[in-house]
Amino acid sequence: MHRPVHRFLAWLDEPTPVLRIEIVRICAPLAILGFMSGRIAHADEWIGDTGFHVPDLGGDWRQPLFIPALPEWAAWAVAATMVLSGLACCLGVRTRASALVFAATLVFVALSDRLETYTVTKLSPAVMLAVAFSPAGARLGLEAYLKRKKSGKRPKKSRTCGSVRFLQLLVAVMYSASGIAKVRGDWLKVPLVLWSHVHDSYQTPIAFALASVLPAWTWTLLQGMVLTFELFAPLWLGLSGTRTWALCFGLSMHTMIGLMFGPVRWLALLMMTLLAAGYLPERAIGWLDVLAERLEPARAQGPR
Amino acid sequence: MGVPRSPIGTPIRTRPATWSARGRVALRVLAGAYLLGVWLDGSGSGIPASILPRAANYFVQVSALFPWAATASIDYRAEGFICSEGAWMELDTRPYFPIDTEDKENRFNRVMHFFRENRPTMTALDSYLVNQHNSAMREDGIPSDRAIGGVRLLSLRIPIPAPGDRLQRMSRQPLSSYPEEQRKAFYHTPRSRLAERCGRHVEGTD
Repeated sequence: MHRPVHRFLAWLDEPTPVLRIEIVRICAPLAILGFMSGRIAHADEWIGDTGFHVPDLGGDWRQPLFIPALPEWAAWAVAATMVLSGLACCLGVRTRASALVFAATLVFVALSDRLETYTVTKLSPAVMLAVAFSPAGARLGLEAYLKRKKSGKRPKKSRTCGSVRFLQLLVAVMYSASGIAKVRGDWLKVPLVLWSHVHDSYQTPIAFALASVLPAWTWTLLQGMVLTFELFAPLWLGLSGTRTWALCFGLSMHTMIGLMFGPVRWLALLMMTLLAAGYLPERAIGWLDVLAERLEPARAQGPR
Repeated sequence: MGVPRSPIGTPIRTRPATWSARGRVALRVLAGAYLLGVWLDGSGSGIPASILPRAANYFVQVSALFPWAATASIDYRAEGFICSEGAWMELDTRPYFPIDTEDKENRFNRVMHFFRENRPTMTALDSYLVNQHNSAMREDGIPSDRAIGGVRLLSLRIPIPAPGDRLQRMSRQPLSSYPEEQRKAFYHTPRSRLAERCGRHVEGTD
């Protein structure tokens, strides 16, 4: 086999800190449930038969699959299952099962209702499946805490975890594809693409304030910075010399997106979770590890 | 207990271990295919759409975010045809689409965004709005004692200001406050249907 392939496979199998996937296990369900909360509060209108639903269009491209509206009780049951499984996963209770059930409810609502499906809805099943097929829940979880209190054994700090590698690649792939889509779109032709997006109903008071005071050239500069970051993200995140800078830029970019485009804040939080989990430097993970150790009971010294 | 080994010292793969290895390979192939799908879709390739089932392809469409400049700030509105007066009046759709009422993630906006040129969906929306208003369950800007026979569905295309212009916070204004050239009607209930619902001949509704 070729050397790069060998190196790639070795990288996949290299042990990574378990805390990385625990960050996703704890924060991603919260971001997803935050996004879903407005819908869940009206589950009967959303996926139930109380509200308006697009009729069966028999193969129309805008309707990937027709799922009839649920009876009211079933809509509330799906919503309750989503909340309970998401919270259980976040708390580390039956982590694998709860992540799988959570992912299943996310797939269902994404296909059931095109009108309420956004990037968070479509992306989150893959994230939760990655959590399900990982050792998530081994640290900083309720069940692991109780088990450990009984046995006194300390959890392993590092393990081979394909899910962490998957999420690291997913972030880089998403940015890169997003950058290419922007290049193919207007981002190299129109200097005020960013400016054009701050005037609709997503506008927050911060977006309005910035639009009122920033000169036109700053919007073009920000646009260029975002495009450069996204387009070359695999490079920035792949090279050790630029990784931490790229992480800081990505976190700042998503913070600004969340502050300026109200409803997009949940996607921003989800992306920040994936970025932090995948690319926090080992030193920062070390600090988290110290914190985690304080929360993990240890009666006797066990295997590490 | 260690890993079982053959007489020459190589590890012997038990059945669960073999399954686990196969499962790992299958997961890696799936994960790789998903990542490739996300990248190709965002990059503008038609390959995922041509080879994946539509439901699967839907889940790889996650990366092409905001590629185009907005040419206007778009909002969608509805008017109801009041049978007793033979006149159109703005119908506030928010009570009938209670999720995210104040922004474009509202379901009425979404149905107009995706399906405004899809006749069966617009007809279904027409029936839904008329039934909702005439059942007099919620306040929608048209007095509940005035039945409506149909709806007119339109978009508002509000120009984007130039940098340096005096800006106003985005807020919802009555339909009547927008000039005619900013409105574009996509659908109105056919006259025959209006007559049927209102129980009388209707003129000049288009």
